Amino acid sequence: MSAEAMAKRSLLAAIADEDSVTGLLLAGVGQVSNEAGKETNFLTVIPGKTSTDDIEEAFDRFTSKRDDIAILLINQHLADLIRYKVDNYTAAFPAILEIPSKDHPYDPEKDSILKKVRRLFGE
Amino acid sequence: MEGLYFNIDYGYLDGIVRGYKSGLLGGNQYVNLTQCDNLEDLKLQLSSTDYGNFLASHSGPLSTSIIQDNLSKKLYQQFQYLKSQSSGKLAKYLDYISYGYMIDNVSLMITGTLHDRDCSEILKKCHPLGWFDTLPTLSIATDIESLYNTVLIDTPLAPFFKNCLTADDLDDLNIEIIRNKLYKNYLESFVEFVSTEFGQPDLEIMERLLNFEADKRVINISLNSLNNPDLTSEDKLSLFPNYGKLYPNFHQSLSDAEDVEQLKSIVESVGEYQDLFSDVQDSNSGSSKNLEDWFYLLEMNYCKNAFTQQFTLSAIWAWLRSKEQEIRNVTWIAECIAQNQKNRIDNYISVY
Amino acid sequence: MSGAGNREAVFPTRMTLGVMKGKLKGAQQGHSLLKRKSEALTKRFRDITQRIDDAKRKMGRVMQTAAFSLAEVQYATGDNISYQVSESVQKARFQVKAKQENVSGVYLPTFESHINEDINDFKLTGLGRGGQQVQRAKLVYTKAVETLVELASLQTAFIILDEVIKVTNRRVNAIEHVIIPRTENTISYINSELDELDREEFYRLKKVQEKKQENAAAAEIEEKLKKASDLEKEKASQKKHDLLPATTEENVLLEQNAAEDLDKKVKGDDDLLKDDEEDVIF
Repeated sequence: MSAEAMAKRSLLAAIADEDSVTGLLLAGVGQVSNEAGKETNFLTVIPGKTSTDDIEEAFDRFTSKRDDIAILLINQHLADLIRYKVDNYTAAFPAILEIPSKDHPYDPEKDSILKKVRRLFGE
Repeated sequence: MEGLYFNIDYGYLDGIVRGYKSGLLGGNQYVNLTQCDNLEDLKLQLSSTDYGNFLASHSGPLSTSIIQDNLSKKLYQQFQYLKSQSSGKLAKYLDYISYGYMIDNVSLMITGTLHDRDCSEILKKCHPLGWFDTLPTLSIATDIESLYNTVLIDTPLAPFFKNCLTADDLDDLNIEIIRNKLYKNYLESFVEFVSTEFGQPDLEIMERLLNFEADKRVINISLNSLNNPDLTSEDKLSLFPNYGKLYPNFHQSLSDAEDVEQLKSIVESVGEYQDLFSDVQDSNSGSSKNLEDWFYLLEMNYCKNAFTQQFTLSAIWAWLRSKEQEIRNVTWIAECIAQNQKNRIDNYISVY
Repeated sequence: MSGAGNREAVFPTRMTLGVMKGKLKGAQQGHSLLKRKSEALTKRFRDITQRIDDAKRKMGRVMQTAAFSLAEVQYATGDNISYQVSESVQKARFQVKAKQENVSGVYLPTFESHINEDINDFKLTGLGRGGQQVQRAKLVYTKAVETLVELASLQTAFIILDEVIKVTNRRVNAIEHVIIPRTENTISYINSELDELDREEFYRLKKVQEKKQENAAAAEIEEKLKKASDLEKEKASQKKHDLLPATTEENVLLEQNAAEDLDKKVKGDDDLLKDDEEDVIF
């Protein structure tokens, strides 16, 4: 990872439910542009409307296709839907962060990073 | 004389509304609700109230948004029923009440059109009370020009758009400004309608309520735009409804106010609003009442008083507002329970 | 552990031996250095892991507070503002800057929150009502996202360190279990080859010497015999003088004894060589 490639990564992306997205957008992480493939850096997941495929697609878009994302925030319960993808993701950039949502309190047991931590310490 | 003929046209509705009113949650019920440990408990408690088995059809885990949706649904049904039973000036009155929600819906649609969103998506987000038949047609317009010239003209809101906004404005101005301009026009025209059509004691109560509504907006707008260089004082003035206790003496100074202290001293010179800012300063700490809470409390007191008069249509407005507040209260309590923030759970406003 | 299986394919010469010895020394030095590096990284790694664990738990609380502030907004505005919010988004106010930090030769990226105060897409959101709450939720969420960014830095460091430590450990193990034994094997192989060559050379020399001595002895005997016959002739010619006939007889005997001795010695040497051979085989 060269320095300039890193400097380019300045945005946060989010895959989250409506409330979390609203909050993150309020914090000012949202970026909307007209550039193809970079329209928005957030995906609002509405239960019953957004399919797992959509989430997967967004995950791929944010992690591999776009080069300006530094951190991807994803609701833990949504990460669970594409768990195999999240667990198999090993690259350092963009960093993937599982965050809790309002209706789904944080469960450290499921976090892919914490799982690695525990595995390393043999717990 | 009023009382003599009132029941001919409006007696039935008045009865129904007063019935609805007695179904509003009282202090005891709120206390019961706050004792709940989880949302299932809350559902159980609510089922013994006027809401009955409003969640019966719902299966799966509860969330606050589901509770809120279902509570609101009940309110919408009741309001729709009232609307279908209304006639004459009452129908017009109810229309006026819904205009406020229509403004929200229309501005939602305008935002959607500006951003090329899927309009069927937006329609679902529209407020049911602000629904009108031509609302879906707004989605037909693809650009602002046609939206303004062909579609908005046909909506009930056309008079509010007239004289204040041009097609160009829709494109440039922030949707929030449009919304507030519309609201100003709406309030002014509502007041005009009330003062021409209503007699005492309706007029008195409605004027009080609308006065408050107008002042609330004025205070809010001036407070929220304090640190916003984009809004000049002229801009602000153009958003203030020309009505209310603060009008006309204080509008100019409110729009010129540069910090909270100035604003505070201006607002406090009006008797009723003396308490408004009393605790605003440390509202960040959480437990004390903030501005919004004071507004809600005042409004609820006005509404409660509105029920003390006989033979008034204003009871409908008072009931609607109380019911909305009740939904907010229950949602708040549910939220506190769901998120385990019991220390703030008593922040609801109960006057009945 | 025979040297033939696991050694480098080299030609056993003294020069390669020198090269190999140098290599072994380098490998040992590298091994101790890498081991120390891996230990330093692991220390840091454990530190980070601990912090991640804490931060993740902290995040749970922070996000809950944030979610609650959103509930306040909802209470104040009465309806859902999420649509308004997502529609008024234009540019990212909250960005991150990636910086690099050097930990024992490993570059760890850290994210730094960077808030551009000039950008505010939500100035007017909630203008009519709830604006205060919106602004407050904004602050709370900004703080929450800052925590998230911190956590993301830790997590990236975690992933990179994890990788680097793995690589370092792999190298340490490779040196310890593959390169060093192999070099040692090669060295002992070269040594044994060289010894073998030495012994062959020694044996060859011995053989040559033996042959030479045999030849020399034979020549001497011939000489002696010749001398004896010469003496015989002389004697015969000088019989009249009759000069010490016994001494010559004695001399011849002595000569014979010496030749036998030498023979014996050569044989003994041979035995010694044989012993050596056995040693080598052992």
